[in-house]
Amino acid sequence: MRAKLARGLKGSVKPAGNDSSLLLDPDHPAAPRPEGMRHYACEEAVDMLIVGCGAGGATLAQRLARRGWRVVVLEAGPFWDPDSEWVSDEAGSHALYWSEQRLIGGSDPVELGKNNSGRGVGGSMVHFAGFAPRFHPSDFEVASRDGVAADWPISYEELRPHYERLEQELPVAGEHWPWGDPHRYPHSPHPVGGGALRIVAGAERCGVEMRVGPVAIANGSFGNRPHCIYRGLCLQGCKVGAKASPLVTHVPDALAHGVEIRADSMATRVEIDAAGRCTGVTYSHAGREHFQRAEAVAVAGYSIETPRLLLHSTSERFPNGLANGNDLVGRGVMVQGAPQIGGRFPEELRMYKAPPPEIASEQFYETDEGRGFARGFSIQTVGPLPIGWAEHVLADGHWGQALREYMRDYNHWYVIGALNELLPRAENRVTLAEETDANGMPVARMDYSQCENDRANIAFGKERMREIVRAAGAQDVLEIDRYAHLVGGCPMSDSAESGVVDSDQRAWEVPNLFVADGSVMPTQGSANPALTIMALSARLAERLAEKRLNPRSGHREAVGA
Amino acid sequence: MSRDAGHLPNLGGTEPGGPPAQLPRQRRGTTPQMRGRYPDYDLLEQASHWDEPTRRVVLDRVERVPPIRFFDEREVATLGCFCDLVMAQDTEPRIPVLAMVDEKLYEKRADGYRHVDMPPDPQAWREVARMLDAAAAERSAEGFATAERETQLRIIERFAAGELDWEGLPVSKAWGLVMRDILGAFYSHPWAWNEIGFGGPAYPRGYARLAAGQREHWESPPEFELDPVRDVNERGLE
Repeated sequence: MRAKLARGLKGSVKPAGNDSSLLLDPDHPAAPRPEGMRHYACEEAVDMLIVGCGAGGATLAQRLARRGWRVVVLEAGPFWDPDSEWVSDEAGSHALYWSEQRLIGGSDPVELGKNNSGRGVGGSMVHFAGFAPRFHPSDFEVASRDGVAADWPISYEELRPHYERLEQELPVAGEHWPWGDPHRYPHSPHPVGGGALRIVAGAERCGVEMRVGPVAIANGSFGNRPHCIYRGLCLQGCKVGAKASPLVTHVPDALAHGVEIRADSMATRVEIDAAGRCTGVTYSHAGREHFQRAEAVAVAGYSIETPRLLLHSTSERFPNGLANGNDLVGRGVMVQGAPQIGGRFPEELRMYKAPPPEIASEQFYETDEGRGFARGFSIQTVGPLPIGWAEHVLADGHWGQALREYMRDYNHWYVIGALNELLPRAENRVTLAEETDANGMPVARMDYSQCENDRANIAFGKERMREIVRAAGAQDVLEIDRYAHLVGGCPMSDSAESGVVDSDQRAWEVPNLFVADGSVMPTQGSANPALTIMALSARLAERLAEKRLNPRSGHREAVGA
Repeated sequence: MSRDAGHLPNLGGTEPGGPPAQLPRQRRGTTPQMRGRYPDYDLLEQASHWDEPTRRVVLDRVERVPPIRFFDEREVATLGCFCDLVMAQDTEPRIPVLAMVDEKLYEKRADGYRHVDMPPDPQAWREVARMLDAAAAERSAEGFATAERETQLRIIERFAAGELDWEGLPVSKAWGLVMRDILGAFYSHPWAWNEIGFGGPAYPRGYARLAAGQREHWESPPEFELDPVRDVNERGLE
């Protein structure tokens, strides 16, 4: 180990408590290899069994392992070998997405899959664009401040130290950030393309300030992770190893500290004993069913699969699903509105170059009463590749000769998008459908409908973006409506009646069951959720390890402890 | 060559509803229908700069056209004609869109969601073929493939507008589904990348010239530029 570290030492200063960037092989920096990984017997009750190896699960595993916990992670998808399994190609990257059957309904159905659902070690961050903003302090108290949705049972201050550490671990590059809790970033901003510079100028003419970043892409080599090469395929998995995902930021360190990651292992039930405590998880691997014992279980399958697993884990004690005594599991699932405005410019901008996340503004993030709706939105860049752009052109109503003509003009277009904070609603929920998958487990159904505040927010955001794109010199504009980023579905709350988990992400109804992913968010802000999901898991690990929370004890004692 | 969006082509093109009259013929490599704005740009010449797994995936699209295994003969006739029209592939060389879609359906590759009121994707595709044939029959044609061009275009217009009726198939969602598959096939093909001047896979080489108007040494300048928004409106393409 020491020799390996010494051989790899180069680049910028390593963050405390996480050697991931140094543990990667400099010749294959896009993922660690699982050879030499520790293995646990199924009969051995490990200290924490985590379901899902994405932003929430991998961060929790790494942090707990560092503190000596015996941890196993079950991951439904593969343990990636980016060198041989990932391609620099839009259509060829389907394996990165959760493409198993799910049903969508409601008046504004949300398309799942490539835009919002990952599969495999690293989770959705493997194909996220890379934007890694913090939530604003206001996000944690929207009921008190704005009279909508719910306050979080924790404040921004409780996540702040974890944001700061994670920004070093990913690392995050960007200009000094003036919005929310103003802060700086450990890596300087990346260079941006011609399109982004035009937008910066256009926004300024509209009185809107844009900043470069914040993106979780190393600016300069970082340990054994190399510098970004600006190839623009962030959403297809970073073969380079420059963009952050748990696969490069937390899994290497987790493996070095004894975590076992069981890939291709689909959890089907969380089991409980007569006293109502979790005993472990039943899962399917290579067509066979297994059961891993555990002292505690953390579900980190994200906003669709986490509710699905809990709802499917029925028992005499929990006939409607585990931790679902109040019929709240799966409710309040959210997406952000993500309308996009494309502008046509006189010069070639070739928006396929540089990472899609270039610049952002959070100037419209909080409520402004003059707008006539609560909360707000952020503005970011998008950089669609040809298939993504063709879907935009189609959405604008074109096909045949017109579509081909628009597409031939691809190099003249640049696209910005909003992230609108849409409000949580109880009727937006994940349920089990009648249809079952190959393991006989019912597939998830997600129903989604917007409310009036949501529609007003999206319409206002689009209008501001149109102004910016016009002011930037666009000769024509094109727009489409879409969604981004799933969160919610197992909200944290300050009372057992109003949520699924408490402020420590422990299920109100099951003392040794935790939820460690974006589904615990009571509201979503206008920030991309990855960094906050990681920060929540980092905080949870700290609280578990400091014995402020003891999964072996009952709920009441732990809270009082 | 013009950078002025207000510069309009000679209206009318090669035929009404065709590509702009001044759109160059491709001189190097292949584009669908051998037209494009970058007549000397052949991205396939850069294949030696790509990593091996990517090269294999991209070159297979050109070198290995999959056989039809999912659709039957009648569906191939109907849907092949439909794919040509919605992608304006009026002459050879054509990107084999339907064969690529057929492979996806045959291999049961899914996209990760289905609207609650939609049939599974493979069945939805077959229903679309039946719906197009039925719509043509209503207009006294034997089937969609043998209908007059005007009739075919009228039917597609109504399909795109969600105005066709077919039991068990929400038509707007069906339009979204088939077009998503068609666009995913067409714009994954390197011939289409030549046509639009896309830089394609750039690993491990990357991109170095990011500013407006800049291009890598291996990227080509366009020989023809035209704002499609104006052109499409001026020529009444839709």
